[in-house]
Amino acid sequence: MAALEDLRAACGDARPAGDGDAISGVPARYVAAPGSADEAAALVRAAAGHDLSTVVRGAATKLDWGSPPERLDLVLDTRRLTGVVEHAAGDLIVVVRAGTALADLSAKLAAAGQQLAIDAPLLGATVGGTVAVNTSGPRRMAYGTVRDLLIGVTIVRPDGILARAGGKVVKNVAGYDLCKLVTGSYGTLGLITECVFRLHPVPEASAVLRRPVDGPAELRTLVSAVLGAQVIPAALELDAPAGGGLELAMLLTGVPEGVRRRVATARALLGGEVAASDAEPDWWSAYPWGAGDVGLKLTAALSGVPDLVAAALAARDRHGVPVAVRGSVGTGVLYAGMPGATDPAAVTAVVADLRLVASEAGGHAVVLTAPAALRAGLDLWGPVPGLALMRSIKSQFDPGRRFAPGRFVGGL
Amino acid sequence: MTADVFSAAFDDHRPPRLDLINDCVHCGFCLPTCPTYVLWGEEADSPRGRIYLMETGLAGEPMTDSMVQHFDRCLGCMACVTACPSGVRYDRLIEDTRAQVERRHPRTLAERLLRGAIFRLFPYPRRLGLLRGPLRAYQASGVRRLLGPLLARTPTLATLESLAPRLRRPERLPERLPAVGPRRAVVGMLTGCVQRAFFPDVNAATARVLAAEGCDVVLPRAQGCCGALSVHTGREAEAQRFARSLIDAFENAGVDYLVVNAAGCGSSLKEYGDLLRDDPSYAERAASLAAKVRDVSEVLVELGPVAPRHPLPLSVAYHDACHLAHAQGVRAQPRRLLADIPGLSLREIASAEICCGSAGVWNVLNPEPARELGDRKARDVLATGADLLVTANPGCLMQVAAAVHRAGGVIGLAHTVQVLDASIRGLPAQSLLHS
Amino acid sequence: MTSATRTDGAIPALATRLRAELSPAQVIDDRQELRTYECDGLAQYKVIPALVALPHSADEVAAVVRACAEVGVPFVARGSGTGLSGGALPHADGVLIVTAQMRHILEVAPADERAVVQPGVINLDVTRVASPHGYYYAPDPSSQQICSIGGNVAENSGGAHCLKYGFTTNHVTGLEIVTPAGDLVRLGGRAPDPPGFDLVGAFVGSEGTLGIATEVTVRLVRLPETVRTLLAGFASTDEAGEAVSAIIGAGVVPAAIEMMDALAIEAAEAAVHCGYPDGAGAVLIVELDGSAAEVDAQFDDVERLCRAAGAFEIRVAADDAERVLFWKGRKSAFAAVGRISPDYLVQDGVIPRTALPEVLRSIADLSRRTGVRVANVFHAGDGNLHPLVLFDDAVEGQSERAEEVSGAILDLCIEHGGSITGEHGVGMDKVRHMPRMFSADDLDTMQLVRCAFDPAGLSNPGKVFPTPRLCGEVPGRHRGAHPLQEAGLAEVF
Repeated sequence: MAALEDLRAACGDARPAGDGDAISGVPARYVAAPGSADEAAALVRAAAGHDLSTVVRGAATKLDWGSPPERLDLVLDTRRLTGVVEHAAGDLIVVVRAGTALADLSAKLAAAGQQLAIDAPLLGATVGGTVAVNTSGPRRMAYGTVRDLLIGVTIVRPDGILARAGGKVVKNVAGYDLCKLVTGSYGTLGLITECVFRLHPVPEASAVLRRPVDGPAELRTLVSAVLGAQVIPAALELDAPAGGGLELAMLLTGVPEGVRRRVATARALLGGEVAASDAEPDWWSAYPWGAGDVGLKLTAALSGVPDLVAAALAARDRHGVPVAVRGSVGTGVLYAGMPGATDPAAVTAVVADLRLVASEAGGHAVVLTAPAALRAGLDLWGPVPGLALMRSIKSQFDPGRRFAPGRFVGGL
Repeated sequence: MTADVFSAAFDDHRPPRLDLINDCVHCGFCLPTCPTYVLWGEEADSPRGRIYLMETGLAGEPMTDSMVQHFDRCLGCMACVTACPSGVRYDRLIEDTRAQVERRHPRTLAERLLRGAIFRLFPYPRRLGLLRGPLRAYQASGVRRLLGPLLARTPTLATLESLAPRLRRPERLPERLPAVGPRRAVVGMLTGCVQRAFFPDVNAATARVLAAEGCDVVLPRAQGCCGALSVHTGREAEAQRFARSLIDAFENAGVDYLVVNAAGCGSSLKEYGDLLRDDPSYAERAASLAAKVRDVSEVLVELGPVAPRHPLPLSVAYHDACHLAHAQGVRAQPRRLLADIPGLSLREIASAEICCGSAGVWNVLNPEPARELGDRKARDVLATGADLLVTANPGCLMQVAAAVHRAGGVIGLAHTVQVLDASIRGLPAQSLLHS
Repeated sequence: MTSATRTDGAIPALATRLRAELSPAQVIDDRQELRTYECDGLAQYKVIPALVALPHSADEVAAVVRACAEVGVPFVARGSGTGLSGGALPHADGVLIVTAQMRHILEVAPADERAVVQPGVINLDVTRVASPHGYYYAPDPSSQQICSIGGNVAENSGGAHCLKYGFTTNHVTGLEIVTPAGDLVRLGGRAPDPPGFDLVGAFVGSEGTLGIATEVTVRLVRLPETVRTLLAGFASTDEAGEAVSAIIGAGVVPAAIEMMDALAIEAAEAAVHCGYPDGAGAVLIVELDGSAAEVDAQFDDVERLCRAAGAFEIRVAADDAERVLFWKGRKSAFAAVGRISPDYLVQDGVIPRTALPEVLRSIADLSRRTGVRVANVFHAGDGNLHPLVLFDDAVEGQSERAEEVSGAILDLCIEHGGSITGEHGVGMDKVRHMPRMFSADDLDTMQLVRCAFDPAGLSNPGKVFPTPRLCGEVPGRHRGAHPLQEAGLAEVF
């Protein structure tokens, strides 16, 4: 109880945890929602004082990703750390608190004709969660990902110290690039309280072209042709639902006349049955799996993408698993889904197959999410180059292993 | 003449100038154009590094073997001068430095013998001419093959051997050649040393072309070496002696221009004013003659072509001799003259700014790196797929020819003026392609 | 000038060992030759290294680092030595590891949009080998004809085109590094998003303090279908600045927008005869690239906006040669300034673009008040200023006043929410300014990373951070004297 008192003293909103606050089946003891960065720092200090293990929660859209925490005391909820601190439209930057929902931020920026060019596959996701997991979608081909758009960050370290890195200007090489380090760090290095992003203008015009594809061989031909030409798609996506069929979709954005001309060129380039529309397909920017399913992220060098797709299709037959694949063939980042009820041995076999092909193609296969029963037997992350250095970094930032212990690569 | 190892590198007679050194801001833009940096990637063998060594020498560092070696390794190609955005006069700096080295640094016996031999031969066209007979005989005989193993062990000899051009009977030139048609200028012509002895065709073609373009051409029999090799190797007094003689030979010839067909010579002649600035009886005369010096391509473009050109359906790779492009800034004129020949297509050589490795007698003194540079140039030249390689310096011609031969490649070789001559005389393209 | 102080024979022993493990020609200990390495592109700071090593391979780099680590000798890496912040300034008791001889392009893979190169490869050479395939390497620092990829990685170098294309960190997907302990480690690779912490992202821009890159996998970008470049002359930087805001405000993302003021134009003219518009108070170079369809549509807008802001002369490059000429002046600006002033300091501050007119006015005021001339060259599109503070070292007091003006300009940048360095790095030169921008906690946090990679503090020590952090168990606190403290190299704060 002494712990809860200290937590309450640091941050008004602290309470005992309930059943709904468990993370990946691991129950929590407390939940606290700080209202400011200073409160958050005080909270973390208080938690450290009692050696409480902490996992950060935003909109809980990806809370079941990664491994379950080794131990869990405090769920640090960011729902009160919301709001746009500063939107400098003339400079195309925004300073935003980490608990803000991407959708809310988007609406605010759109009013000024600007955007934070990160796709949000999961509804309700917060800025902080997006950065912590490095979520991305189809438009990474045009704009990059969090890695390329985050230019400043404020974090609370596991020892409770508040620290900033980067700044409010895009060009900045002063000091180490901690923005990159915390991006995709799954909350293991501390709490992200505030982010500074570079923005882009919302394009005037856009168009989508869709075309069915015979198989991986035709995919290779089409993608090569598109990348080698000068149509410069904003996104080039593939959908291969478990039931069968392959579809290629291309997003073109820019000024109206420019888009018109590029659509014509792209049509000619793609040949076959091309359908044009204003709207993206239903499956666009959504993961090919549902709650409780197995979800994988597959990466490959561009030339290896068709092989990865072929491997996924082959895995269906070989292991009798309805594997769905979807993602960016233009950047080499795909997602694959399998039903949660699939036999664990089959899941392991599929993951092994895909991991082998991804690895040969210079990439990785990571199991992002899986039901508890399947997770136990799976190597979620695969080989992780540089793991020893990552352990060193973790031990410097969080020697007490208090933040999200065991959730990340190598049991970090 | 031993330099005390504890005393500063340079004495007071024309040391490298500190004000010129201070123009260097250390940006490094010169490095990628420097042949020795391209070969070795070491700072002390880059223009920036050599300037640094000069500066430390002025500040009191002694002239050690190490320092001298880095100065000696400089080709003097001046690609760095072209590349430098701060306008550092590296050419002035290296010349003054080399002169200091020659005066103050004791060389080994082997070095002295080699340099002595070179300078008893190359600046003397008559002595070079005496070599022709034996060289022809050697080339005609099978001795060349037998010497293979010996040459492989002695790089310097191998270089000399490889550079020796194939010889034919020389044409004798008169002392005055009248202009064809209305006379537009009176020009003196430098006949040179290596050019005169080994490439007399080039001299003949030069005289013919100048005459065809309306120049009376004056070729004083008394002329000797212009001293370029001596200047570029730091042999200051020797260079000045040659310069005075040459000034004597030409100053009363009544010429509007002194035309040169060898890049190295032209660049030296243009700097006669500086070479003899300390000599009260020659300073002004030197400057005055220097002002009249033109490369043959320069003067032809200046006068404007009058002689009709006949087609030469050839592809030509034009190689910029360093002393023409970097030292004299003459790049556009030869290209213009070649491009104006009907049917001739001009191709650029990759990495054009990098020296072929001839650099006067640098290739004789530094055979192994010269071979590497020559091989690189040959590769880039052959990659153009051109029928003919055209350049404006006998040294370049010999160096690239040897390297092309080593690479097992085939390409015609000619001086710019020989191509013009063939076009003006209506000779077939084939006449230029025999090697 | 700092001299070696170590007298325990460690250096000669190290030299012998390195000669055996590499080759005699690859180890330099001749004092005169060592002196040619005593500074990089920032000639104000000079330190003679105790030794110079020139490895040819990753294994040789590892061998040198391991040898240094075993005897506690610090090391500094150097590529082409063209950096402008003293990042390759040697350590007097250390080894300077020069990668200039590691200049092979190992692979060009257009199908993957990647190339793999050794660190000594020159930036522009990557583009040279990629262009025949229709690709190029986008980050284009003005020194790209000589600066090395390894150096670019260390500094996270930018260039004129980073407005649209980003910097080195956006174009490096994989690294092989030698850690400060001497181990070879691969990070990232050809594919995006490697699992775990973004170590590639942390390493790029770490200025040689986390180890040495021995192989770099870079991203290649498709050569644009069209490039259109415009040069506009304005009466003042105010007007030019307005044009910049208008262009960005119209939603155009140019590949580059560069500005030069009257003094910078004068220098460039003297150096390369670029023929910029006569009497211009400022010139803008605006470049658009991409698909012809988009560029054509946007270029007219750009021209119109420049005129509306007051451009008195606009030239559109008719061909590649003319385009190169427009850029020639801008790219030679720094070195060219040497022609109008005996000495100068170059700054690298960043401000929000919207603050440009105000900051330029403040700099002009500063210049007037102190009598110190400042030429301005900058990446107007992203607010990265390069004020060239001119002075004559031979005149008493001028160099101090120039330093003051330089510092005042950095203060201006920070006041406006900018940065003390946009692309040159902190190196040695801006170490003392770091506390202006970051709090002690901020710097301490960054140094946690340093402790993770280099607990012994041997990799380019003394750079980036004003005070080295003691890499003990308790951050910021240590009981008893630390070896670095005893050596007088560190303090507890």
